[in-house]
Formats: sequence, structure tokens, C-alpha cells
Amino acid sequence: MTYKMLDGNGAAVEAMKLARVKVVSAYPITPQSSIAEKLSELVAKGELDAEYIRVESEHTAMSAAAAAQLTGVRAATATSSVGLALMSEVVGLAAGCRVPIVMPVVNRALVAPWSLWCDHSDAMSVRDSGWLQFYCQNVQDVLDLMIMAYKIAEHEKVLLPAMVCLDGFFLSHSMQKVEVYDQKLVDQFIGEYIPKNTYLNTEDPMFICDLTPPEDFTELKYQQKVAMDNAVDVIAEVQDEFYRIFGRKSSIIEEYMTEDADAVLVALGSMSGTAKHVANEMRKRGLRVGVLKIVVYRPFPFKQIREALKAKKVVGVFDRSAGLGAQGGPVWTEVCAALRGLDIDIRGYVGGLGGRDVPETTIEKIFNELLDIYKGKRILHTNWIDVKDNAMEIREVLKVV
Amino acid sequence: MKKLKFFGTGGQGVVTAAKIFSTAVSLYEDMHAITVPAYGHERRGAPVITDVVMDSEPILMNSFVYVPDIVVVMDETIIDKHVDVSAGKHDGTVLVLNSEEPFMLERYKKIFNANEIFYVDATHIALEVIGKGIPNGSMLGALAATGVVEIDSIEKAIRESFGEKAGDMNAAAARKAYENVKKL
Amino acid sequence: MQRRPEKPMKTLKSCKVLGPVATIFDSANTGSWRIERPVVKFEDCIKCGTCARYCPANIIDIFKDERECVVIDYYYCKGCGICANECPVGCIEMVDERSARKNDLQNA
Repeated sequence: MTYKMLDGNGAAVEAMKLARVKVVSAYPITPQSSIAEKLSELVAKGELDAEYIRVESEHTAMSAAAAAQLTGVRAATATSSVGLALMSEVVGLAAGCRVPIVMPVVNRALVAPWSLWCDHSDAMSVRDSGWLQFYCQNVQDVLDLMIMAYKIAEHEKVLLPAMVCLDGFFLSHSMQKVEVYDQKLVDQFIGEYIPKNTYLNTEDPMFICDLTPPEDFTELKYQQKVAMDNAVDVIAEVQDEFYRIFGRKSSIIEEYMTEDADAVLVALGSMSGTAKHVANEMRKRGLRVGVLKIVVYRPFPFKQIREALKAKKVVGVFDRSAGLGAQGGPVWTEVCAALRGLDIDIRGYVGGLGGRDVPETTIEKIFNELLDIYKGKRILHTNWIDVKDNAMEIREVLKVV
Repeated sequence: MKKLKFFGTGGQGVVTAAKIFSTAVSLYEDMHAITVPAYGHERRGAPVITDVVMDSEPILMNSFVYVPDIVVVMDETIIDKHVDVSAGKHDGTVLVLNSEEPFMLERYKKIFNANEIFYVDATHIALEVIGKGIPNGSMLGALAATGVVEIDSIEKAIRESFGEKAGDMNAAAARKAYENVKKL
Repeated sequence: MQRRPEKPMKTLKSCKVLGPVATIFDSANTGSWRIERPVVKFEDCIKCGTCARYCPANIIDIFKDERECVVIDYYYCKGCGICANECPVGCIEMVDERSARKNDLQNA
């Protein structure tokens, strides 16, 4: 086994290199910048045989990447936060035109307040855009899920683009020990890129994304829905094959000590690692807690979640985005829908916004609340788990008189 | 599990130091380490803090360090920049300080009154050995003196990170700091 | 709840508002970023003003009639060293900020 020290962005680049992307069109944005920089370095040094298109915005980055991929190669781009927001028009285009691009999204809060730091509001804002979404717990996940995402996205029963979401700074800039894979094995696993759908060829012209009348729109949208449904089985197949070739297990959801747990916390992203760590510590004290990690958020694994949690009495869901105006965060809302009709008390927690750390103490506080609810010792829970008491007093500004 | 906090100012290579330390223990000592850097407005002179968690097992947690076992201070003036370097310290916390200035040592002694303190003028060593006052290599040598990592592993990781020429010079600076570090 | 300030904001000493806002510009003190500081040897200076023209922060003033003809605003100077690089007679030296600050304190 070969180990390398990589940060999350480095692992994403490693995966793109292993996938032999032929076109790169990326616009740098904190905390994604080192992806764009490393890719340009690799192209400049000749270590990556690709065309690097310098673009002036994320909107163009995705336009160029989608068009490039339609000519019959893997194209690479990556973004974050407001970059994803600016790109969002073309995000929908790539999905609707069934261009299976794989894009790392380095999770960072959307404005305003202006922030450079991690939360999931960026990726959540495009959760219904027709892209597959994977969330990484650690840097190894970034490499593994990126490699798997190529195979899943390009599968003829799927043909949907995929976002691999990694928490800004907590993963993108966290250096970790990562097992890296042999190029030959990756070649064998994902194979050469073969366009299985529309294509751009001047010898054989096609007009992609022409105006679609109401007579056809619903059906074309339905095709995307079917692809999402198909993706569930394809993801499971690809994860099995990945395990056989690379020896590393992966699943759509991960159940961590949930079986006999009195309280389960549903989490995604880097905080799910901390949640597992806290679960281990609390188990040592005889407290029966467990974690359900969502690896694949789109398609939402409602069947798997229902199966895993159907016998539970109390479940907490941790959203790293605010879900403003909704009854709760987006993950909580969907977990509720997955568990509808069952007698389960499902509590939504919002926290870790705009780079606020999710330390062991926050997770432990949640577990303790859930256990108290389980024992009937508590009725209410702390919906915004890490908000300061003086929230409504912020801010007082001083005036120079 | 051991938790470390690196304090310094922009331009000193604080994040690089933490990454090299992680490399040293992960690739050359069969351990696991993750760096959790806290990024702010990146610019020279601003306080920079980076955390490292190391363990013999793969590390699950991914959050900042609040109870450090080792505190590495690469810029002694950080305590005048509204940074509390002693936050979360416990009786066993070890301080590794880049300073031999008696006045500053006194101040740090007051803050870390019950703790072990390793100190060396790593900036001076860096100036002497590599010709630049960037103390990240030399501070890693001082850190090795605490026994948390072998100096050989630090030297290997420095060479890997900096390449041949800069690697040799920084490794030499680390070795010199390792040999000259003093204890309070 | 947020109440509308009764007096116009500029006559108040402080007020509460919602959303991200600041009236104190902590990060404006770019001089605090400095690792090295430019120091002018006035005896060699030819008062050409090249340093002032190249200064990216526009914080160098030239007073041709004064002996200390180059005035650098150290509150804002980041110590980038462009002035020292561009000076045609090499009369600007970049010195270690830490020791320079120590000297300042001793002289004061």
C-alpha cells in the first residue's frame, strides 16, 4: 500500500489526475483555490495531459467544462460557495443535458454575512438541481468518492453529473494520511471515457439544449428522475466493485453502533467523524449512542435510512445549513419524510454555520439531550445547538462622535 | 491520542510546520495525524493557529484542539496580539517556545507556571543556518526534543516537503535547534 | 427586537443594528503586518520621488524642502519592499521590524 500526505483539495486533484481528465476549466475561490492551482501546475509541468482553459467566472467554468465533456473527454472543474451560486444556471444545464461531470464542491457558507468558512449552505442550495451529491468524512473519502463518482455518473443507467462535497478547511486544508492507488487499477476501474449520450462533433452536428415545449418538458425531467432512482443500485454496485479492487469499504449510508443505540444522530461531512469519536467515548461510559452517516445525499437514501432507523425511538439530525423559513434544516426535513408514519421522535439540530467548529462538546450535548428525551426526562431540545445567548444583541456598532 | 497547537504569525510557515510534523509521524513513525488549520485573513504578521491530532489509530474526530498536550509558540509576540496561548492547558501540557529573551521567558513562565517549557531562539538559528528568519524548520527540531517525534523523522519529512537544497538546510536548522534547546 | 434609533445615527455613541457591519476598521492597520520596514538614508536621497510613485499603498510623501524628505506612513506600510527595490540610488534599506520597534521604544 502506498500512503501519501494529502489535504482534501490535494486528494481531489489526485483523483482527477487518476481519471485522466483532458480539459480543466476552473476559477479559483477560497477554499477551493488550491485545486485550481494544483491542476494548472500539473498541466504546466506536463504531468497531466490536459488543456487548461483560463476562465473569468464560475459560470464560464461550468459552461466550458460541460461543452468540453460533450466533445468526448472527461472535463474537470471545482468550486465553492458563491462560485457555485454564480455557476448555478449552468449546474442545471449540465444535469439536464445529462453531462456526467464530476465536480468537487468545497463547502463554504453562502453570503451574507460574508464568510470564507465551512457550512453546507452552498451545496444544499443546488441539492435539487439533478446532480448526485456525495459528502466526505475525511480526506481518504475525497479520493475514494471522487474515483467512484466517475464510474457512477458515467454509468449508462445514470448519466448524471456528480458533486463530491468536502468541508472547507476542515477537509480541504486538513492534511491526512491517505492511501493512494495505482494508475493501472484506476484505469481498469473507471475505464476510458466513452460518451454514451449526446456529443459535439463538427462532422455530425447536434443542437444540444434546444427550446423544449411543454409537450416534452415533463418527460425529459422524468428521465432525470428515473436516472436518480437507478443511481441507488448503481452506487451500491460500484461501491462493491471498489471494495473488491481497492479493498476499501463504502456504503450509501453508514451505520455506526446504531444497532442497540437508544439515541442515533444523523450527520454528514467531516462532523460525522467527530460524532463517531464522541459515540466511542460515550459508549465507554455505558451510554448507548450511535451515528448514521449520510454518504450519498442525492439520490436521498430514504429506503436505507428508514430500514436503519425504523426501530428507534429518538433520532437527532444535524444540519450544517440553516434551512431558513423551513420547519427545519434540509437534512432533517428529508429524514422526517423518510421516516413518516413511524413512531419516532426526530429532532433537528442546526449548527456549525460559517466555519463554527463542531467540537466534541457540541456533539455530546446533542447526544445527552437525545438520551434525556429517550428517558422522558426532557421535552424540548436546543434547535440551534451552538448559537450564543446574546445572538439578538449582535451587533452593537460604535460611532465616532 | 496527543493534541498539539501551533501558534505563530503569517509568514513564519506555521501551517507548513504543522503539516511537516504530521508527515513525520504519519509516514515515518507508523502513526496517524491530521492537521486542522484555522485560516483567517491571510497576510504577513497576522496570528496563525494550526492544530494537529495524532494517534496510533486512524483519527475520527475533525475539529479544533481545545485541550492541547503540546503548545508550540513560533512567535513570542503572539501573546501581545490578543491570543491566549495557554487556553485549555492542563498539568501535563508542554510548551515549546521560540525565544531566549529573558524578559519574554519570564512572561511565559508566569503563564505556564506549572508546565514543562522547552525554549530556543529558533529564528536566530534559522537566520544562521538558512539565512532567512523563517523558524518553521528549526522549531520542529525543538519540538522533537520533547520526545513526541524522533528528530530523524522530522529531518526526513522536512527533506520531503522542501526538496533537496532547502530541505537539507532546514533539516540542519532543525537538528541545530534540537541540540540547543533548553528546558525550564 | 430591533428599535429604530430615535436620533440620527451619526449623533449616537453606539447603536445596535442587524446584519454584518463594522464601524471600527481593525484590519486597516496594515502596518502591523510588517516583518521588515523600509528606512531611508537621507544623506544619499536624491529626492526623485520614485519610491512614492511605486508604493502600492500610496503612503509615501516627498517633501523636497525638508532634510527628512521622504515620509513613510508606518501605520499603513506593509513592508513589501518595493520602494527599496525601485530606489535608483539604493538609499532605502529594509530592516528587521522587531529590532526597529525596540529602538523606537527606547528612543521614545
